[in-house]
Amino acid sequence: MFPQFSRRQLLQSASTGFGYMAFAGLAAEQAHAATNHPLAPKTGHHPARAKRVIFLFMHGGPSQVDTFDYKPALAKYDGGDLPGELAKGTSGGTGRKLMKSPWKFQQHGECGHWMSSLFPHVAKHVDDLCFLSGLHTDGQSHGQAVLQLHTGAQLLTRPSVGSWLVYGLGSENKNLPGFVTICPTRGHGGVLNYGNAFLPAVYQGTSVGSAGTPASSATIKNIVNTDVPPDVQRKQLDFLQSLNATHRKHIGDDHRIDGVMESFELAFRMQSAVPDVCDLAGESTETLKMYGIGEKPTDDFGRQCLMARRFAEAGVRYIQVSHSFKWDQHGNLKQHEKNALEVDQPIAALLEDLKARGLLEDTLVLWGGEFGRTPVAQGKDGRDHNPVGFTMWMAGGGVKSGLTYGETDEFGYFAVKEKMHMHDLHATILWLMGIDHERLTYRYAGRDFRLTDVFGRVATEIFA
Amino acid sequence: MRMTTAGVFTLTLAFSSIPELVAAPPKPSQAVEPGIAFFEAKIRPVLVEQCYSCHSEQSKRGPKGGLRVDTREALLLGGDSGPAVVPKKVTASWLIKALHGDEVSEMPPNGKLPSAVIADFEKWVAMGAPDPRIADKPVARASGIDIAAGQTFWAYQPPRAHPAPVVTQADWPRSDVDRFILHALEAKQLQPSPDADRSTLIRRLTFDLHGLLPTPAEVAAFVADSATDDVALAKVVDRLLASPRFGERWGRHWLDVARYADSNGKDENLTFHEAYLYRDWVIQQFNVDTPYDRFVREQIAGDLLPARDDKQRDAQLTATGFLVIGPKVLADRDLEKRRADVIDEQIDTIGRAFLGQTLGCVRCHDHKFDPIPQSDYYALAGILGSTRTLDRYKLGNPIVAGWMLRPLGGEAGEKQLAVFREYEQQLKELTSQIKSAKAELTRVETATTMRQPGALVGFTVDNTQAKLIGNWKPSTYSSPFVGEGYVHDDKTDKGKKSATFTPKLPRDGEYEVLISFTAGSGRAHNVPVTIQHVNGEKQLILDQTRKPKIDGLFAPIGTFSFAAGTSGSATITTQGTTGYVIVDAVRFVPKGELANVPEAAMGVSEELQKKLAQAAKRVKALEAKQTQLKKSAPKPPQMVMASRDEDVIADAKIHVRGNPHQLGNTVPRGFLQVATADPMPTIPAGQSGRVQLAEWLGSRSNPLTAKVYVNRVWYHLFGEGLVRTVDEFTRQGERPTHPALLDTLAVEFMNHQWSTKQLIRKLVLSRVYRLATRSDATQRSADPENRLLSHAHRRRMEAEVIRDGILQIAGNINFQGGGPVVAHMPERAITNNSDGGVSTEKVTTRSVYLPIIRNELAPILEVFDFADPTTSTGQRDETTVPTQALFLMNNPFIIQQAQVAAHRLLAASSQDAERITLLYQLAYSRQPTSDELTTARGFLAEYQERLASVGSDKAPKNRVAAAWAALCQAVFGSTEFRFIE
Repeated sequence: MFPQFSRRQLLQSASTGFGYMAFAGLAAEQAHAATNHPLAPKTGHHPARAKRVIFLFMHGGPSQVDTFDYKPALAKYDGGDLPGELAKGTSGGTGRKLMKSPWKFQQHGECGHWMSSLFPHVAKHVDDLCFLSGLHTDGQSHGQAVLQLHTGAQLLTRPSVGSWLVYGLGSENKNLPGFVTICPTRGHGGVLNYGNAFLPAVYQGTSVGSAGTPASSATIKNIVNTDVPPDVQRKQLDFLQSLNATHRKHIGDDHRIDGVMESFELAFRMQSAVPDVCDLAGESTETLKMYGIGEKPTDDFGRQCLMARRFAEAGVRYIQVSHSFKWDQHGNLKQHEKNALEVDQPIAALLEDLKARGLLEDTLVLWGGEFGRTPVAQGKDGRDHNPVGFTMWMAGGGVKSGLTYGETDEFGYFAVKEKMHMHDLHATILWLMGIDHERLTYRYAGRDFRLTDVFGRVATEIFA
Repeated sequence: MRMTTAGVFTLTLAFSSIPELVAAPPKPSQAVEPGIAFFEAKIRPVLVEQCYSCHSEQSKRGPKGGLRVDTREALLLGGDSGPAVVPKKVTASWLIKALHGDEVSEMPPNGKLPSAVIADFEKWVAMGAPDPRIADKPVARASGIDIAAGQTFWAYQPPRAHPAPVVTQADWPRSDVDRFILHALEAKQLQPSPDADRSTLIRRLTFDLHGLLPTPAEVAAFVADSATDDVALAKVVDRLLASPRFGERWGRHWLDVARYADSNGKDENLTFHEAYLYRDWVIQQFNVDTPYDRFVREQIAGDLLPARDDKQRDAQLTATGFLVIGPKVLADRDLEKRRADVIDEQIDTIGRAFLGQTLGCVRCHDHKFDPIPQSDYYALAGILGSTRTLDRYKLGNPIVAGWMLRPLGGEAGEKQLAVFREYEQQLKELTSQIKSAKAELTRVETATTMRQPGALVGFTVDNTQAKLIGNWKPSTYSSPFVGEGYVHDDKTDKGKKSATFTPKLPRDGEYEVLISFTAGSGRAHNVPVTIQHVNGEKQLILDQTRKPKIDGLFAPIGTFSFAAGTSGSATITTQGTTGYVIVDAVRFVPKGELANVPEAAMGVSEELQKKLAQAAKRVKALEAKQTQLKKSAPKPPQMVMASRDEDVIADAKIHVRGNPHQLGNTVPRGFLQVATADPMPTIPAGQSGRVQLAEWLGSRSNPLTAKVYVNRVWYHLFGEGLVRTVDEFTRQGERPTHPALLDTLAVEFMNHQWSTKQLIRKLVLSRVYRLATRSDATQRSADPENRLLSHAHRRRMEAEVIRDGILQIAGNINFQGGGPVVAHMPERAITNNSDGGVSTEKVTTRSVYLPIIRNELAPILEVFDFADPTTSTGQRDETTVPTQALFLMNNPFIIQQAQVAAHRLLAASSQDAERITLLYQLAYSRQPTSDELTTARGFLAEYQERLASVGSDKAPKNRVAAAWAALCQAVFGSTEFRFIE
């Protein structure tokens, strides 16, 4: 099902698949559907439950015990000592003193899942969510854990989840990249978190804006020519293509020249396709309002979420939205309130919107950070990193809704039941997308590589 | 490549017993000592039945995990995980742990033995593990890898010179290189293509040797040279080899291999402010043609090699930056793992860069394909573990490691560093003194905001003395306050809480009542207060959202008569309130006394005020001292990223399955056995072994070093290596297309003092280098991949050549280069939400001098497949993606350079034909045809027309200049510019 291309063959087919096409009346669909094109849509190993992924990345590490993993014992023993050991690598300022959540918890929905008051909007969708409460990962520091979340590896440069998915499944839109990441963070691995590593470059994630610049101006680099309108540029492009055609004629057959010529045509089409998706002007006032666009705390993340929906509609395979490095409350845990305020309404709106458009059933929405936070206090009012137990949640995409899978201990510290390692999460995401993580391989430097290395267990228990 | 993992776990499959191996244990007789009897009865049968199939001499695929349990000696020696049994030490015996199924290993793999059996094993170990099974031959650490057999693989064979073959077309070759190539062609009845024309050749040569375009004058001179091709070419080659541009081109090739960067990348992307010294050193070595063996040795052990003077010592120190510039996980809290990861990165890079070997996977297990046992990896790890790479810490955070920096300038530099470190220490101490002085000041200041009931005029009842009904929450959040703090109602149980303040008054009289609280918008604005006085009861409403009049803390609510004693009181309740109700203190001040007190001093004792002044003075004095110290700060010496030996030199222990927390046997420091023809050199105790490693790498007897390097050079000149997988001289890699030629070139290279320039000169003056890219159908069908080099490979410009070429066409390139390029960047190059201001679009120096920030490459480099600076790269990717086209169409740098180029053309001539001709000469090193002239002129006219039809706000003012810029930009994007014939 996944022919073993050599790296070289793939690189070549990336530029040869199309052949050269006339400037006008391009048979782009045909070329796209051609099976030897590396981005042509492919079917997976088994029927897919989800066609695309939207990952809402809460960078910094949101606290599970203050959000979705309710632990009454924490309030009961507030100020008392943790009975067991601290996790390895916990930093010096972290003591053994348990600290209760400053937020009130209550049950929501038919499923009766306990949630804190931090996510009142998301709470209304609780029956659409599948909580993964037994997550754990390896790295104690952000850099390690962020890279592991995105690529499965902490130390080595490895392809990211989105790159593997596009490699395995291709893309449904010929004029857009198969993998976009909206306002990605620059630190903690930066581009490596959406990089293709040893996979061919066609599978790399394309960034739309970057963290630290407003989402309202986020777009793909070099997508717009600010000097001349498209029809003038077309004139120039026609001339450029005539130079290339002359060169090609002169030197004889070289598929690489064809590849370059086709890449210019695709780029020209992307120039109009990408801004169309990024431009929210066509959205109704109600929609903008629902996402909190125009309102101070929610505007930025609301725009990102709405763009994500638009990319999803346009057939992009893997879409990431980043809330860049906000959730790292070593002190002043109260800051979680501000963080939640920024994302809660936009996330709820995204779920609502996807559902209303019938997209939620085949879109896998994933929410979470690189790790969670300790139930014990760091300093007077903070929590340290907690890679040994934390919560993420999924929605849509063929997962059981209203389910809580996995458990941490009575204080919400260590994952103890139905544990899910980062590799297991990756294996499960791939499975939901129709891919067997053990069979999606790529040969590089004499070895067949996988997203999950030699690990990974598919959590079939969460499948609807 | 690494597998730290269960997947490669090897101690498996023991349960199915193989009947013929189960020998009946001899019956214990009287003569047998009790320990042996116990062994025979309880231990041996279990070993035979449960373990022998995988862990004995009979094991079909060699003992798993290197462990045998069929002799006493083998058990004591153990396997990958170290000794299996330590007599009398139950807890130290790995076998016992495995039987218990600890977290790393469970034996037997398919089910735990009954606890009684495990207890027998523990008892047996405690007895001293009596065991009569004496081996008839010594047990060696089994690895299953046959080194001697491995050495027969072509890559591990020392190169030897071969006589040049005899060829039929004797007049074609210019050198032996050509004879080897032609011989292979003739064997396939293939003809070499004709030579390329001179303008093509000079473009190719200038690209290969300088990474630049030839100037029109250089092209013209070469084309017009009346000398023979051989002579004319030699002149050009010698000119190119002598130019400093040569080192910039070839230095960059090495920087790819050395994964050079100006920042760390990885988890903490910190700036390498000193890395440029290594980059400049590399460029310099290529320009002065340092023998490659020395070039290798200095990068591994330059700090330890003898130097004639400080200058040489500095250069050699700089060379060892090779070991330090790798990307590292700096903030790993697992320090053992952090150390092991740094060593791993170094071993992996050394393996690829110098030897064309993949050593990363040997961290966890013996190599799957190549004859490299895990012990070889840890032999190298001992050397690098005895070398200091990480040093001190960064970001003021002990969790974030720094890296080894050493001063330049010999002993003077060392001294200067000592003085500077002393100053840093003083500054650190002073800073810490200032910090504590400031803390003291803050403490005193806080105390002054804490009004002391005793120091206040009148009679003060603090909240601690009040009668509180209901649950009041103590707080010190909002200062100032009276006493140690205040309480508030937490906005709960409204109407059910009260606080009554009852003063003990010495005499009857009129008292002013002051209620203390701090105001805030969240407070209640309608707090009910009841005063019990001589004449009855008075109800008042207090607004706690408004700042109290006196000192911001005390709100006067009226004057009342009170009798002596405790009959009077003030009661605060929460009835009818919604905001927070604050209860701090109530003062009863005899009428008139308040007027005599200065407001600011209220409640602050004289002693405290004195303390305040003292604390402030101390802070000021220390800060002055700090200013003074900083003024006289000594200049730090120029530091460089460099290695040094560790204080403690030690052999490494095997990390079982790559886990630094599970240690196996100790391995003596050493090198790859398969690439060591002579006896393994010994490493003296007390030395890291880097000197010996350097000698081993840069040695004539190393079968890999010269071959790998000669092949890299060939690859850069011909577009494909003689071994096409330039980083993989392994079983998984490709075999050489011309093995005898590769061998001969390697030997001659070593014979010519490992001179890169001589090697390049020989290759580019060969006939095969001159071939045109044109091929005919016969050639293509007989050899579709052109492995035999019947014609030249068409090559694509690398990212930096595209950029430099564009700057050349624009007449804008700046050949001044070298020196620091990231001096302006902070300690952390890139943060999560900022690119650190590493803009490169306005810079016009050669690309080799652009800052190389890991994870944030200059856009043009990123887009055009620049080497990933996080890993050693011998061969760059060559991709064609639309982001490249978008870059060429829309990037501001491209547009701007096109405008500069247009300006140059317009200034060069008033004739369009001449301008177009100049552009073709600059970009393509040739004249345009008349058709091309016509097309270009047509475009200029049409483009201007199209511009004229655009609305005024978008259209550029100078349409002529805009059209020329559009023409130049099209040429930048064209394939003829970006491909080399």
